[in-house]
Amino acid sequence: MIQKLSAWFEERMGWKPIWTALALRNIPKVNWLYTLGSATLLVTVNQILTGILLTIYYVPSPQDAYNSVAFITNEITAGWLIRGLHHWGASAMVVLAGLHMLRVVFHGAYKFPREITWFTGLGLLAVTMAFGFTGYLLPWDQKAYWATTVGTRMLEVTPVIGDWLLRIARGGEELSAVTLTRFYGTHVWVLPSVLLLLLGIHLFLVVRVGISAPPTPKETDEKPKVWFE
Amino acid sequence: MAGMSRRTFLSRATASIVGGIGALMGIPTVAYLISPAKARGGLGVEAIPLGPTNKVPIGEPTLFKATIERKTGWVTQAEELAFYVFTEDGRNFTALSNVCTHLGCRVRWVGNEKQFFCPCHNAVFTETGKVVSGPPPRALDQYELSVEGDQLFVVGKVEA
Repeated sequence: MIQKLSAWFEERMGWKPIWTALALRNIPKVNWLYTLGSATLLVTVNQILTGILLTIYYVPSPQDAYNSVAFITNEITAGWLIRGLHHWGASAMVVLAGLHMLRVVFHGAYKFPREITWFTGLGLLAVTMAFGFTGYLLPWDQKAYWATTVGTRMLEVTPVIGDWLLRIARGGEELSAVTLTRFYGTHVWVLPSVLLLLLGIHLFLVVRVGISAPPTPKETDEKPKVWFE
Repeated sequence: MAGMSRRTFLSRATASIVGGIGALMGIPTVAYLISPAKARGGLGVEAIPLGPTNKVPIGEPTLFKATIERKTGWVTQAEELAFYVFTEDGRNFTALSNVCTHLGCRVRWVGNEKQFFCPCHNAVFTETGKVVSGPPPRALDQYELSVEGDQLFVVGKVEA
């Protein structure tokens, strides 16, 4: 039955080569550290889905933000779960992306021909941090308010243009409704767009160029020289 | 299981795990989305004070307006409700909703024709709320009244 159905689609879509290239591609013999990228991707998908669900009830205005978040958490069925997944997923995404990056650094996997994969990855880490920073304000509670006060205030120490950076980040001198809506717009429209663009390039290259094998001393004839021998 | 290749086992295991996560997340997601639809509107308050009984002339439905605080989602708003109170003997009172059962327009009492009239689609109801003509599917909604001393209170909805 499933085979018949898949054959029916195959005749009309011809997706087998794409599936083969994506899921049945050859990879070097690797270890569990190589799953950190996939783990980051899984959490990213979680963030996208739970984030979309949260916008069903969340309202980014000073009057409504805190109350709508409380409504989601306390009154909507499984609201605590959806919000909790988004909240903890945010931290997990930063940690997993960081570990993934360390794996790449220690294996030297950022070198030719994978520089573009590496730099889009750095971009994705920056986007992830920006997601965390803008998302932190949205519950509009005391912690959010003061964390953003401090966080945006740091921009002000930038030489020459510091004052402007602060005003641009806050949408004025003070943290206000304007700050909340621009953080919200950035969090749900700007950053996701950048994320999908960078992620698209990143994943395309992972498939197209392939992943690097873990480096081993066997690849060279000489034993690695160490200073204490 | 015997004879299953490593590849088949791994693809089935992967598919099962993905399916499991999908179900585990799909069910709370649906519950989350339909959650606010489950709340049925009662009055929202214990009793709505309307006014004194002597303001209701015998045989003549009289409009009473009342403002209640209703919480929808996380927003509490003042909502104005209106009821037509009717009595035939000055002792037993009934209250009718002024919301037409067709599409929710407000009906009004036309004294000289002794009928409720809805301006939207020319619906006509009797003084007790029964449909005389027009498109409404059922009689006007009735509310339970309680009389404390000489004061009228709406205390609930009469389920049809």
